[in-house]
Amino acid sequence: MELIPKAAVIKKVINESNDVKSFLLELDEGKPFSALLGQFVEITVQGIGESTFAISRQKKGATQFIVSVKKMGHLTKMLHRLTAGEFVGVRGPYGNSFPLEEWYSKKLLIIGGGIGLAPLRPVIDQILLEKDKFAGLEIVFGARSPLDILFKEDLKLWESDPYARLHTTIDIPYEGWHGKVGFIPSLVKDLALKPDNSIAVICGPPIMIRLTVEALKAMNWKAEQIFTTLEMKMQCGIGQCGRCNIGGKLICKDGPVFRIDQIPYGVI
Amino acid sequence: MSNWKKLKLKDLNRFLDELSSGYELWIPEKEKQKWIWSIYDKTDEVQFPPNIIDESVKALFFPKRRPIAEFDLKKKWSVKQVETSTKPRAIMGLRSCDAEGINYMDRVFLHSGYTDELYKGERDRTLLIGMICDEMGENCHCTDRNSSPDKTEGMDIIFKRVPDGFLFRQITEKVSDILNFGLLIDTDEIYEAPEWPRGRFEVAAPEDVLDTYDDEFWNDVSDICLTCGGCTFSCPTCLCFLVADEKFKGKCERVTVWDTCQFSAYSRMAGGHNPRDNNAARVRNRTLDKFGYSERKYGRTSCTGCGRCVIICPLKRSFPYIARNLTERIKEKKAASQGA
Repeated sequence: MELIPKAAVIKKVINESNDVKSFLLELDEGKPFSALLGQFVEITVQGIGESTFAISRQKKGATQFIVSVKKMGHLTKMLHRLTAGEFVGVRGPYGNSFPLEEWYSKKLLIIGGGIGLAPLRPVIDQILLEKDKFAGLEIVFGARSPLDILFKEDLKLWESDPYARLHTTIDIPYEGWHGKVGFIPSLVKDLALKPDNSIAVICGPPIMIRLTVEALKAMNWKAEQIFTTLEMKMQCGIGQCGRCNIGGKLICKDGPVFRIDQIPYGVI
Repeated sequence: MSNWKKLKLKDLNRFLDELSSGYELWIPEKEKQKWIWSIYDKTDEVQFPPNIIDESVKALFFPKRRPIAEFDLKKKWSVKQVETSTKPRAIMGLRSCDAEGINYMDRVFLHSGYTDELYKGERDRTLLIGMICDEMGENCHCTDRNSSPDKTEGMDIIFKRVPDGFLFRQITEKVSDILNFGLLIDTDEIYEAPEWPRGRFEVAAPEDVLDTYDDEFWNDVSDICLTCGGCTFSCPTCLCFLVADEKFKGKCERVTVWDTCQFSAYSRMAGGHNPRDNNAARVRNRTLDKFGYSERKYGRTSCTGCGRCVIICPLKRSFPYIARNLTERIKEKKAASQGA
């Protein structure tokens, strides 16, 4: 029965920020975990419940993968209490994936707002593995405050990599912060990136996705050039429970990755 | 000799006794003015209602609360799937609209990519003995949905009430033994299909319905909806569920529980965002799902025309009412655009 999870061992817990932890997981049966780029998993905390999480790092053929979890409700609070050596349940991976091969030879603009960077990190990883196949990489990351900045090691690597350009911003001024301040849509406007031969990939809170898409469109980006992953409320992950049904599409099955012009009406 | 067999009225209980010796037998039972499904008891006076049973047959395949697995919390990790039942079961007296509902459940739980094994178990062990309605009820509208009370699709056996008993006919191969019960005798009588009347709830084509997404209409029809969810829980094709892990006395069960898109919390996320945060969006979602989305997802619209939502709606503003008004609205819009 697909709704019953398999055991996975927590190999490592990484404190990413104030309220985000990453969990390095390995399926107990020791088989490689094969997920497509952009797919998600259902994680069970025994005795508590189950929720949907994006895969925030994966390697082809590897047995381990990472999910990054922001403390939001009861389940994520309980998940945050777990430590290395303890078990969680895993179902999946489910959903469609980013069409990376369609983006070969294009410039990529990856935009992550807060925990929205999590499902995009594997995309960035893959682009950096296949640099010669793409024409460039711009990364935009926005956090509420310096305390909410995730994946600090990765940000350092991306910043020092001559292939990529990283733009980090925080929402409002913060003592001791000398970087950019402001919301992602206005930073995107300021960057004034041209749409020629480019693809943008956005993930973040719904309002951030909407305003960023508007900002890009105002700079003549077409909807067909913009992708998002709609990490909306999903539950069964297999297209049966109906919860993520939006405008007739099931995010868990038809998504979570959508091209903006193919998004069901009224979602963002 | 016709291809029907006859059961005399006086033999009904003996027939049911015989049937219940081999099957867990479910029949309609009247309880406080409502017809519900109940396991046959030899001491009951058996009756079959003239048309729908108030309680949808959905719950016999997909119960309101359904344990699917059990966790052993004393261990670091232990989870065991609930076993499927294999005891033969017969449901007797369901209607063509119920069979339509089962057909839709099959699409979702058996043919959409992942098999729900518990549902499959319930399906595999069950014989469907359908009844042709005596007459259509006040809120029945299967005839508005390309069906009729004598449609036999999905049934294993069909029967019809006649003045002095019942006529039975075999539909599938699954059941030859029952039709050979000595109490069923050869007859020259046949069932002659009447001209079934249309219902009161015709609905426009899926593409026209989907086209109303941005119409003001949704605000107008949903303003007084209590979002009680009654229409969805009574509906044979509303199958949305919650997956919950329930802890009780050191035991933890994973269950599926009926849920509904009419509740605001249904689609609300932990961060507070809710893609359907108002009545209009929720009522629209349900209506468009029945008459548009379901056709795209599963190849057919999913209203069976049973009318249960009409009966249950405390405001009588239920979904067929909305659908009928929607069809009027679509006609108006079309007339206006042609006139312009």
